Amino acid sequence: MADPTATPMLTLPPDGLSELFARLVQQGWRLVGPTVSNGAIIYDEIQSPDDLPTGWTDRQAPGQYTLEKRDDQRSFGYVVGPQSWKKELFLPHEVVQTSSLNNGTFHWHGANPKPTPTAFIGVRACDLAAIGIQDRVFLEGTYVDPHYQARRDATLIIAVNCTEAGALCFCDSMGTGPQARQGYDLCLTEFDDYFLLESGSDRGKAIATQLPATTAKPEQQAALTTALDNCRQQMGRTLNTDGLPELLFGNLEHPQWDVVGDACLACGNCTMVCPTCFCHSIDETPDLASGPAVRERSWDSCFSEEHSHIHGWSFQPTVKDRYRQWATHKLSSWHSQFGTSGCVGCGRCIAWCPVGIDITEQVTAIQHSPADPAPLPDFKPITWHARKDPLQAASARIEHITQETHDVVTLKLQMPDNYRDQPGQFNMLALPGIGEVPISVSGDDGGAIEHTVRNVGKVTAAITSLSVGDTLGVRGPYGSTWPLDQMAGRPVTLIAGGIGLAPMRGVIRHLVSQTRDPATEWVSVIYGARDQNALLFNNERKQWPTNPAVKVAITLDRASAGWRGNVGTVTTLLQRKHQPIHGIYLMCGPEVMMAAVIRQLSLDGVPPENIYLSMERNMKCATGHCGRCQYGPHFICKDGPVFSYAQVRPLFGTPGF
Amino acid sequence: MPDTPTPSPRPRLGVFKLASCDGCQLTLLDCEDELLLLGEQIDIVHFPEATSPGQPHGPFDVAIIEGSVSTPEQRDEVQAIRRNSTVLLTIGACATSGGIQALRNFGDHDDYRRIVYAQPEYISSLATSTPVADHVPVDFELRGCPVNKHQLLELITACLRGRTPAIKNESVCFECKRNGTVCVAVTQQMPCLGPVTHAGCGAICPAFNRGCFGCYGPKESAATAQLAEQMRANGQSNEAIKRAFRLFTAGSEAFRKESQRHE
Repeated sequence: MADPTATPMLTLPPDGLSELFARLVQQGWRLVGPTVSNGAIIYDEIQSPDDLPTGWTDRQAPGQYTLEKRDDQRSFGYVVGPQSWKKELFLPHEVVQTSSLNNGTFHWHGANPKPTPTAFIGVRACDLAAIGIQDRVFLEGTYVDPHYQARRDATLIIAVNCTEAGALCFCDSMGTGPQARQGYDLCLTEFDDYFLLESGSDRGKAIATQLPATTAKPEQQAALTTALDNCRQQMGRTLNTDGLPELLFGNLEHPQWDVVGDACLACGNCTMVCPTCFCHSIDETPDLASGPAVRERSWDSCFSEEHSHIHGWSFQPTVKDRYRQWATHKLSSWHSQFGTSGCVGCGRCIAWCPVGIDITEQVTAIQHSPADPAPLPDFKPITWHARKDPLQAASARIEHITQETHDVVTLKLQMPDNYRDQPGQFNMLALPGIGEVPISVSGDDGGAIEHTVRNVGKVTAAITSLSVGDTLGVRGPYGSTWPLDQMAGRPVTLIAGGIGLAPMRGVIRHLVSQTRDPATEWVSVIYGARDQNALLFNNERKQWPTNPAVKVAITLDRASAGWRGNVGTVTTLLQRKHQPIHGIYLMCGPEVMMAAVIRQLSLDGVPPENIYLSMERNMKCATGHCGRCQYGPHFICKDGPVFSYAQVRPLFGTPGF
Repeated sequence: MPDTPTPSPRPRLGVFKLASCDGCQLTLLDCEDELLLLGEQIDIVHFPEATSPGQPHGPFDVAIIEGSVSTPEQRDEVQAIRRNSTVLLTIGACATSGGIQALRNFGDHDDYRRIVYAQPEYISSLATSTPVADHVPVDFELRGCPVNKHQLLELITACLRGRTPAIKNESVCFECKRNGTVCVAVTQQMPCLGPVTHAGCGAICPAFNRGCFGCYGPKESAATAQLAEQMRANGQSNEAIKRAFRLFTAGSEAFRKESQRHE
C-alpha cells in the first residue's frame, strides 16, 4: 500500500488534469486512456481531458452494456469497458520471430521491440492487479518474454480509484479494489470539484511537483475513505473465495459444469476480455517469395477446440471441458501456478458474454452442493530467470539419420557447445515456414543429441524427410527429467508404448552403463509396440541385456509371421509377477496404457511417489507463456513432461483435461 | 550430369468453377502482387476465369474448386477433378456449404423452376445444391462468401510448403476482440451470428456496426440453439431467427437444423 506518510496526499483542481496531460505529452509519453467509441468506453490514444468520457457512465448486466449520461461532469464516472490494458502490453497480434536462409543454414531472429513510451490514464484497481498478474506470467517465470518486458518498462501508470461500483463488479471479493494500492506512478480519485492525487513512485512524485497541487485537507482525505467504503457497499456481485481453489478442484465432476456447458457458446469472449487471460497461439505466416518466414503470436483461448488439439486428438472436445478448464484455471489452479487468483473481479466476462453467463453464479451453485475439496500443489516462486529470448532457436546440422521404421527416424544433431540436457527433457524443433514441434531427446552422444521423430503431422512429415547436412532450428532443453537420483540400490522398471520408448532411451543408456546388482538393482524394460515393424532401436536394444542386471521384454499388439515373443498389452507382462513396492517405475506411452499400468502397480501396492510418467499436451512456446499445455495446476512444458504419479494423480484419467 | 541441377517442376494448379458467382476466383485474381509470386512457384494450367485455353483434364497437384454441386454435370465433374488431383481444396460458401442457392433445398425444386424460368423444361439441375465434400473427399475447405484473400494465400502457401494452414476454426468473436471492436450484441442487443460463426473474414460487419451474417458458416461446436434462444430473449421473432441462419451458408448442417427449428 502506498504509505501516506511517505507520499502526502495532494489535491488537484479539476483543470489540473489538463496540466497533467500536458506535462506527460511534453515528456514524450503517448497517452492511452478511456474514451467513448461505438457505444462503449474503450482505451485508445487520447490527447487531452476533452477526449475522456466526461459526463458518461456505463450500465452493465450479464450480456449487456450500455452508456448513459451522468447527472454530473465526472470524467471517470464509469467502471470498466470491453477492453483492458493487456491490449497495450500483450498485443492481440505480434511478430515474435523471423528467419532467414544463408548458405544453407537457417537463422532465427527474435523481433527487437522498441515500444513507444506510453502512459496509461485511468487504470482501475482491478486492472492494476491484472497487470501485476500478467507481470507474473510473462516476467516472473523461468523465461522472461522480451516483448512484454520492453513494453512494460516503457509504461507509466496513472491509476484512478473507483468511488462507484458497477452491477458486475466484485473486486472487493477478490481483494483487488476498489482502491489502487500498488503498482502505479500516480493515483487520482475524482470528486465533484477536485481530484485527490497520490504518488506511488519517484517518477510519479516528480510529475506531481510540476502540477498545481496543494496538500489535501483532512476532510478531503476523509472523503476518500468514505467514498471507497460506499463503493464497497455498491459491489453488484460477490464471490466467496474462502477455500475456493481447493473446493473447485475437488468438484471437477460437479453437475453444474454440465449446466454451464449446455449454456456456453464457446465463443471465447470471456477470455478475450479477461485482463489476465494470457493464452496465445504462435503461427507461421505466408512466405510466398524468398522473404523471411515470420512467426506471429496472437490471442487464443481455451474455448477453441484447437487450443488442446494434438495430432488428431483434442483433450477438451466438449464445451463443458473448456468452460471447466477456464473457470478452474482462473480461480483454482492459477494459485499453484502464479501464487494468486487469476480473477480480479472486474466483471468483464459476465458483461461481454453474449448469453450472460455469470462466473460468480457458477461458483455459488457449486458452493451450494459441493463434494469435498481437493488439495492443490503450493506455488513455488522461480528465482532463476533466463535472460535470452526464450523463442530464439539455434541452428543445428543433421550429422546422421537412422531410419527406425517406415515412419520413424532418429536424427543426430550437432549442437552448440554450451548445450546440456538431462534424460526426459525435450527440445522444440523448427523448420522456417513449416512450424515447430516439441520432441523429446532420445539420447546424446559426444556433443550431438538424438531426436527420434514419428511422422504424424505436417511438421514431423517435413522433419522426417530431411537429409544429412540439412539444418533445423532447435531450442531447449525444456522440462523436467527422469529421477536419476532415485535409481540407485533399487529395481527400476521402464514401461514404454510405441514412440514412448524414445524419451526413455537416455535413461536406459544411463542404467545400462552402470554396474548394478542383478538381485536387488535389476532393470526391467517392458516395451509394447503395434507390430514387429514398429519396433524402435533394434540394434541397440539387443545390446541392453549385455548388462546382466538388465532385462528387456517386448510385447506386440499384433503378431506377424515368425514372431515368437509376447502378444498383448504391457500390463499382461507386468501381471506375471508381483512388482516390488520399493521399485521405481518409469513409463511413457499413450495415456490409456499408462493408466492401465498405474492400476496394475497400485494393485501391487506400489506407492504413487515411486511411479513416474512422461506426458504430452499441445505446446507452442515451451516456456510457460502460451498456456496451451496446462494440465490442472501444472504446465506440461515447465513442470513436466516427467511427473511423479503423486503429482498428477488428482487429474490423471479425468476426461477433459 | 548437367552442371546445374534441373529445377524441380512447379506444382500444377487447376482452378474450377461450379455453381457460383465467381467472387472467390476473383479473390485469387485480387491477390495481384502475390499472384505474380505465386505464379513463380506454381504452374497455373487451368483457370478459365483468368487464362485461356486451359487444360481441364489434369493431372493437378493442387485443384481448387469454387461453387456448389447443382447440376448432374457438376456431380460428374467433381468426380473427375478429384480423380485427377493430388490435393483438392474447395473455396467459398458455395463449395463448402451449398451457397445461397442451397435455399432451394428447403423448398420444392420443381416449384422454383416453374416460378423462375419461362421454360423450365430447359433447366437441368439437381433438387439440391450441395457442397463438394458431399460428393468427394476434400483436403481442405476454405470458408467464406467470398473467401478472404489472406486466408486463400495462406492456404495455397501452406499447401506448397507442406505446413498446416494457420486458418483457425474459431468464432468471429475472437477476431472482433483482437481488433478491439465493441460487441454489437452486448451493447445494442443486435442479432449477431458471430459467436457461432467460423472466423476468417476479419470480423468486418461488427466493425461497421452490423451483426455478423454468418458468411463463413458454423464454427466447430456451434451452439446455435443457445444463441437463437438469446436472440429470442432480445426480441427477435421466430421468422427473423430462421432468416438469420438461412443465408449464404444455409445449407451447412448446423445452420440448416437451427433454421428448421424456427420454421
